[in-house]
Amino acid sequence: MQSVVEFDNVGLRYGTGAETLTDLSFTLFPGSFYFLTGASGAGKTSLLKLLYLAHRPSRGAIRMFGHDAITLSRERLPGFRRRIGVVFQDFRLVPHLSTFDNIALPLRIAGIQEKDLKGPVTEMLAWIGLSERSDARPATLSGGEQQRVAIARAVIGRPEMLVADEPTGNVDPEMARRLLHLFAALNKLGTTVVVATHDIHLLQEIDGAQMMRLDKGRLSDPTGSLRHPPRPLVLKN
Amino acid sequence: MLLDFILPAHDRKLIPEGRLSGPMPWVIAIMLFLTLLVAASGLALADAARKGGQDLARQATIQIIETDPAQRAAQRAAVSRALRGFDGVESVTPVADSEVRGLLEPWLGNGVIDVDVPVPALVDVRFTSAPTRQMLNDVQRSLRNVASDLRVDAHSSWMAPFFELMNALVWLAIMILFLLSVATAAVIVLAVRSTLNTHRGTIEIMHMMGGTDLQAARLFQRRVGLDALLGGVAGFILAAAVIITLGDRFAAVEPGLLSGVTFPVYGWAILALIPLAVVGLAMLMARFTVITALKKIL
Repeated sequence: MQSVVEFDNVGLRYGTGAETLTDLSFTLFPGSFYFLTGASGAGKTSLLKLLYLAHRPSRGAIRMFGHDAITLSRERLPGFRRRIGVVFQDFRLVPHLSTFDNIALPLRIAGIQEKDLKGPVTEMLAWIGLSERSDARPATLSGGEQQRVAIARAVIGRPEMLVADEPTGNVDPEMARRLLHLFAALNKLGTTVVVATHDIHLLQEIDGAQMMRLDKGRLSDPTGSLRHPPRPLVLKN
Repeated sequence: MLLDFILPAHDRKLIPEGRLSGPMPWVIAIMLFLTLLVAASGLALADAARKGGQDLARQATIQIIETDPAQRAAQRAAVSRALRGFDGVESVTPVADSEVRGLLEPWLGNGVIDVDVPVPALVDVRFTSAPTRQMLNDVQRSLRNVASDLRVDAHSSWMAPFFELMNALVWLAIMILFLLSVATAAVIVLAVRSTLNTHRGTIEIMHMMGGTDLQAARLFQRRVGLDALLGGVAGFILAAAVIITLGDRFAAVEPGLLSGVTFPVYGWAILALIPLAVVGLAMLMARFTVITALKKIL
């Protein structure tokens, strides 16, 4: 099976400090669902940054979608980034854009025509329960609403890989469950999902999900699943 | 590059275009106002120096020194006749004695002239083109057969310092224009960097979603281009008002050296190009600054 992401002995250090991530070697397969856990400061966000190509590692090799991501030229990076959806921990919504425009942003960047994006964005707004707030600016939305917009923005383009940093941190349990099911639905369509979370209970929500645990920048693999192709995903009702 | 003004409305929203709300249009308006005034001064001086220089370079005055008035008049007539026979002479104008006395009276007083002071006879000559020094020497040598004591004064020789001054002022204007252009470019770079810092978050998000450097640069180019256009139009209108008003004042001045200073018609075309050049420069600087800054982030 062709991998989506392959890390081989990857290390990351910021400046001249100690390594934030050390000797990471793992493979992510298409259509699999991963939870990335670990204590605060373990390096979850740094690992996600490597996954969504915000940083290059200090050492090691990364292959992404079958290509060497380390030597990827700057001109080719946008094409790869369009294949990855990202939910940032701090949402990072564009403050002067409406809810609608924030969600439509990836489609517009990809050059989708206005007539073709109105339907999917409207549908997404309805799904996250913010149809009535499509003209609202992020500052007028609650934390949970902002998080839903950030998730909608990440998944609207049907990315091949979805990377989410604490995506359910600001929503109530019911909304957290709905969002996870959205991720799972996307995963069923073939998207590889990586969700960083503190919440160990989320792992029980999705059958077949695998866990990657980071401890002081090193990866531990309690299920051993990272070395093997994942099992088919089954959603719990 | 100017086509980058044309962006879909939704793309334009990515970076708010708060027209005239920031300092940049006003700074550009002031810089452009000063630039246009300096350019207009330079153009007017260059035009006056060129026209005046061309005209004066073709003129010379023959001075005939002869104490006997009758003899002097005869020599003036003979010199005038001889001059008309020269190749390259366009016109010959003998200056009447009364006119020469009129020129001297303010310094020497009425009644003194012709009694105590030998007044020279003058003949103005206009050549078809500016004569060379050699040609003037040849004319003087030939005329000495008609009037032994005469001198040929080329007007360009005594006006030369004035035109050298005008040329120096034109060069000064060019230097000031250059410095103002550098200052304007620096202002644009600072404004773009400031805007880039303000919208760094938006640009980073665009990048993470697969936006290209050019997509981001186009947004800044448009915003900066519009600011420069607004500033340019304001600066041009102000400068044009000043130039027209000063032009009227110059036109009202008594004929003399200053009356030669007029703003040439072609000058308006050059002035109109300056704001457009500033808009182009601004967009180019914005593109360069943004792409350079973006290359520092992955």
